Amino acid sequence: MKSLALLLSLLLSLVPLSSVASDSKPFAEKKVVLQISDPNPFKQTLVLNVANNLVKHYGPDKVDIEIVAFGPGLRLLLKGNTNQSRMDGLSENGVKFAACQNTIAAFSKQLGHTPELVSQATPVSAGVVRILELTEQGFSLVKP
Amino acid sequence: MSITKKAILLTSLAFFSSHAHASNWLMLQGTEPANTSVRAKVWGFVQPEYQSMSGTELPAGGFSGQPMSPNLVKPDNKSKSAFNIRRARVGVRGTGFPLDSDVNYFFLAEFGNNGITAPADVGVLVSDASITFNQLPGARLRVGQFKTPGSEEGLQAIHVFNYVNFTSVTDQILLERFTDGDGTDTQSANAPNGSVSAFRDIGLQVFDTFKVDDWEHSYAVMFGNGNGIGRSDNDDNKETYIYWSSELVYGGKGGRRDGLKLFAWNQSGKRTLTEAGAGEYDRDRNGLGMTFRKGKYRAAAEYITADGMIFNGSDGGAVPSSRNNADTATASINVLTDDKADGYYVDFGYKVLPNLELDFRYDVLNRATETVNGERQFDTLTLGAQYFFNKKSRMTFNYEFRNQEAPGFADTATPNLIADALDDRLSLQWLVIF
Repeated sequence: MKSLALLLSLLLSLVPLSSVASDSKPFAEKKVVLQISDPNPFKQTLVLNVANNLVKHYGPDKVDIEIVAFGPGLRLLLKGNTNQSRMDGLSENGVKFAACQNTIAAFSKQLGHTPELVSQATPVSAGVVRILELTEQGFSLVKP
Repeated sequence: MSITKKAILLTSLAFFSSHAHASNWLMLQGTEPANTSVRAKVWGFVQPEYQSMSGTELPAGGFSGQPMSPNLVKPDNKSKSAFNIRRARVGVRGTGFPLDSDVNYFFLAEFGNNGITAPADVGVLVSDASITFNQLPGARLRVGQFKTPGSEEGLQAIHVFNYVNFTSVTDQILLERFTDGDGTDTQSANAPNGSVSAFRDIGLQVFDTFKVDDWEHSYAVMFGNGNGIGRSDNDDNKETYIYWSSELVYGGKGGRRDGLKLFAWNQSGKRTLTEAGAGEYDRDRNGLGMTFRKGKYRAAAEYITADGMIFNGSDGGAVPSSRNNADTATASINVLTDDKADGYYVDFGYKVLPNLELDFRYDVLNRATETVNGERQFDTLTLGAQYFFNKKSRMTFNYEFRNQEAPGFADTATPNLIADALDDRLSLQWLVIF
């Protein structure tokens, strides 16, 4: 009985602490959260380039990447963005995209309607909170 | 088929294809990429140049011994060789409200010394001021002053033009000079009453681009004043423009994208003259052409026809407003209101080095083909080289072997003696885009 409990606790210790981001990348050796909050369109290209370079360097299974967009940077995740095909490619390699709901609410107020997001975007309550959560889970924050 | 029916047909066809956001001249000049544009992007380019001809004087005719207009540097018509700031343009473009990519604007002003500013006698003139609405899928709307959908030479962004000077057919038949009369008044220079058209008009345009596999199909239907830029209309006639292009895209983006493009266009309207030859006259232009670019190779060809309002040079080849030797008449700019013309060009480019392209162009213009003894044939062979310092700056060298002929006359007749006096032209142009 004692040895069964020991075995169970050993197995449990191998399971990472609750992390949605990590679940889909069980073999990830590197975890990176990329922040985009800048209005400059060049930053959109840059953050996608960085994500692409990470995937290329480590391999899709060995790196867990989440791009968190908030503030003016949320434009990256608005439907119709000309970078859509690049986001499609990154998404196929497991890169995740988080959209700040506070920013969505602010955009909605300015636009008069709720903006549509790209299909890859997952709304999170607040972009900055999401970054803090991910860094607590061992993600390294990079702001290109 | 009426213009309205043509427009509906083209628009309907467009809706059967999938929507795309790829770039081409219609899209590059006024449409911003969705959600990646800025509120205001300042941009522009500067094109200083040097042009030189022998300055051969008129050998015969009523203005014999006087300077020959085509042998002088434009737009000033005063010297056979000159440095000039051909173009100096500054503009702003973007999305006024960046959260909404559906509304774009494009503004560009000309500070250079050319057919836009010189005839209008101004130091600066707005060449482009347009707003583009992208809300309706398949039918974007552009309103304001902008490049008209038409000939490749006119529609393309001038800072990626591979030569210094336009072909004869484009320069004389498409780059419209607006005058009040037809030039038959012997005491009037019939000077332009404003800027050249600059391949632009003021009006509205419905257009879009659709991607089907590797092909990109574009259409445009425009209604405009047909009275040039920087002013409103001078009559109640409106100009219509119809354009279609289909391009097999090999790759790349922007103005030097690799691809094979086929295109056709029509422009039709009326012009109103108020002085000599006063009246309303039809003006129609049509074109059919192709462009190709892949790796080191580049090619283009276009055939153009014109009916009505044919530019016919100046009296005796003299500088407009000069007096003849007998002091009985003034050299004027002439327009053949009911004549025809046609022409074509073929153009090849080959990059011998990553930053050096050699260019070859041959162009022909048959002007005034319907008038007995009025026809003039122009053929020009242009040899060129472009040296690219980087993506945004280059130097272009051109040498044009220019020939002119009056086929209705003997070789020794005055029109052919004048035609033979047409000089070759050497050009050197520098470009920086910022």
